[in-house]
Amino acid sequence: MSEQDYKYIENPLHITRREFITITGIITAFLALPSIWIRSVATANNDYIKARTKNLYQDDVQSKIRVSHANKSVARYYKEFGGKPLSRLSEELLHTKYINRTKALS
Amino acid sequence: MNVIAKTYQKGEIPGVIAINASVCKGCDACKRHCPTGAITGMFGATHSIDVDLCLSCGQCLVNCPFGAPYETSDAVDTVISKLNDANVTVVGIIAPAVRVAIGEEFGMPAGSLVTGKLYGAMKKAGIEIFDNNFTADLTIMEEGSEFISRARHAVFGEKGENGEPIGPLPQFTSCCPAWVRFVETQYPSLIPHLSSAKSPQQMAGAVAKTYGAKVWGKPAEQIYTIGIMPCTAKKFEASRPEFKSAFEYQTHINKAKSETYADVDVVLTTRDLARLFKKMKIDLAKEQDYTPEILFAEYSGAGTIFGNTGGVMEAAVRTAYAVITGNELTDVEFKPVRGLKGVKSASVTLKDSKYDKEVTINLAVVHGIARNLKPVIDQVLAGTSPYHFIEVMNCPAGCINGGGQPIQKNGSSWIEAIRPWFAWK
Amino acid sequence: MHSKNMILKHPLSVRIFHYLLVISFVPLAVTGLILYFKPFSESTMNLTIRVHVIAGILLTFDALSFFMIGYKRVVLFLSRVFSISGNDFKWFAVLGGYPQKLLLHKKVPVPPMGKYNSGQKLFGVCVFIGGVILIFTGLALWAFPHNLPRGTVALLGHLHTIAAWALTLFLCVHIFLGIYMFDDFKAMFLHGKIPYEEAKEMAPLWVEKEIIPLPKN
Ligand code: SF4
Ligand code: SF4
Ligand code: SF4
Repeated sequence: MSEQDYKYIENPLHITRREFITITGIITAFLALPSIWIRSVATANNDYIKARTKNLYQDDVQSKIRVSHANKSVARYYKEFGGKPLSRLSEELLHTKYINRTKALS
Repeated sequence: MNVIAKTYQKGEIPGVIAINASVCKGCDACKRHCPTGAITGMFGATHSIDVDLCLSCGQCLVNCPFGAPYETSDAVDTVISKLNDANVTVVGIIAPAVRVAIGEEFGMPAGSLVTGKLYGAMKKAGIEIFDNNFTADLTIMEEGSEFISRARHAVFGEKGENGEPIGPLPQFTSCCPAWVRFVETQYPSLIPHLSSAKSPQQMAGAVAKTYGAKVWGKPAEQIYTIGIMPCTAKKFEASRPEFKSAFEYQTHINKAKSETYADVDVVLTTRDLARLFKKMKIDLAKEQDYTPEILFAEYSGAGTIFGNTGGVMEAAVRTAYAVITGNELTDVEFKPVRGLKGVKSASVTLKDSKYDKEVTINLAVVHGIARNLKPVIDQVLAGTSPYHFIEVMNCPAGCINGGGQPIQKNGSSWIEAIRPWFAWK
Repeated sequence: MHSKNMILKHPLSVRIFHYLLVISFVPLAVTGLILYFKPFSESTMNLTIRVHVIAGILLTFDALSFFMIGYKRVVLFLSRVFSISGNDFKWFAVLGGYPQKLLLHKKVPVPPMGKYNSGQKLFGVCVFIGGVILIFTGLALWAFPHNLPRGTVALLGHLHTIAAWALTLFLCVHIFLGIYMFDDFKAMFLHGKIPYEEAKEMAPLWVEKEIIPLPKN
């Protein structure tokens, strides 16, 4: 087709440097806002995990006793009932065996 | 389910988690959180769970953005009916991680520590308190002693007191039922490496229905134990048929007669307990702090940190140090095992007072089986593992981020850097 | 149609952009609907989402490259579709005279319009905003569903669904009206030109203010 088969065109848009920068700036800002939002929610990803971890360690710091062997109730359990760690009764009540589940069961 | 579950014993819950096909969008997010590749279904198609591979850990459930996975077993109404039965003493075994999460279900900020309020709410609901931290301390006594005997056997050739066989090193922790099932289904050759100690929940059930029966002055069959756990795999664990040691004790030693009962009757997740409180019109956030008198509510700081990754190891180090050297640690905080690094390791050199010799113990802590376990386990399989004691927790960051915890919309279990992962198959 | 007075309405770059848009968006809409209703077997669904992904990438590249190559046209487009005047309300009051023309064969007076009539402007706004939303949420849902916060992914998913439904419904109207205005259809798909007289009737403000004779050089 030759170029002569139309007579009219749209007046081409003339954009000055300034306008170009402004328009591009606005568009970039519009695209940047969601990106910034996504980034901020993504970096906060582990905040709830860290909060739970921190407060559980806080529970440790608050505790009057901080080592298991100093737990008086545990000592009482062994004295009145369980005997001592790895005792016969301990083995019966507090220890277990595992099964190989790679063979068909049930 | 048209396939017959092969990796379950009779009586076990065959998979606690299932996916609701009409909700699933096939986005593949869950697959990347699954420790075993149990989730099948191509990208774009609805997904489903292969129960034989599934560990019931619930990570897919808490990480699916669209809420497609659900729990197949729900005991909230059963527990309420037991609470209304005057003949039954309902004992709630509360895991460490519950106290820093349940507040979230009642509008409190993430991670609020609400031990007192939780005790108060449980008392109001009529649940006897059995803090699982107590049994966490008990676990340390048992598992720590077991480790010391394994280590002394390996280093000094020490024999068992009653001539019983002593397991090999490295010793793996056994608190996490998803991890135990992982070994049982994938690496049965590692079973001797697992500590024989039950998980704190199962110890609690056994103690509550034997020693506890004496303490409360109730017959064991009238005690109804509920594990209140951050964990869906605990529902599976409680259903394992071998966990009837209290029943066996009562019938064989005390010659009591009754129908069989499990050590832990049912398990409620943190979410379940919150639902139970809401059904009973108890607002935990408004409860008064309450301190129970019972000895089962006494716990040490070492017991409570079980809920964090590295917590079991740190607690074990505190006690093992004292037992081996005969001295107490001055600073009990053992920082190398804390934090969110995938695999944490540390060495402790101490003097064994019994043999008057220096020993060095290498420790490793793994959390997030899906992303971090492989290299550590490969070393153990190859016999080249430098470690003597390895803690493994299935869930990233440990039980505080377990599959039964309140679902926080503003986060996910992804601990590593945010990287794209383009699904295709 | 051999009028000597033709206006070049759609230059080649626009036509290529539109072609790529057609061959990416139509498959996207179709596969999107399939993904929404999930009627097929596993492997077919997988094939569906693969087509969806590829078409989505094509659409993204199409949009990006047109933004860079046809920068001025994008700016013009935006300034046109986002400009509102009283005429737009009057236009919507009679719905552009189309229902009357189609159903009652009556002609009602319609306020003068620019290059796009008010309906097309609304369509343009929706396509632009909806398109940007679809592209962004679609890419995020494909690449990051496992590590962005779950609530965020769910929100992106809902946005994607809403925008997709809106644009798919719009697409049906667009196709219908596009074929109905057959001269415009030919212009967009073939040679890019429309007759001067017709343009003057349909878009008087545009012809009056923005059309110039082809400069002779
Ligand atoms: S994350 Fe949820 S929606 Fe996505 S594939 Fe898994 S179950 Fe389906
Ligand atoms: S429950 Fe755990 S093991 Fe089972 S499918 Fe879900 S993520 Fe995988
Ligand atoms: S890490 Fe804790 S919450 Fe997770 S599966 Fe293991 S025991 Fe359950």
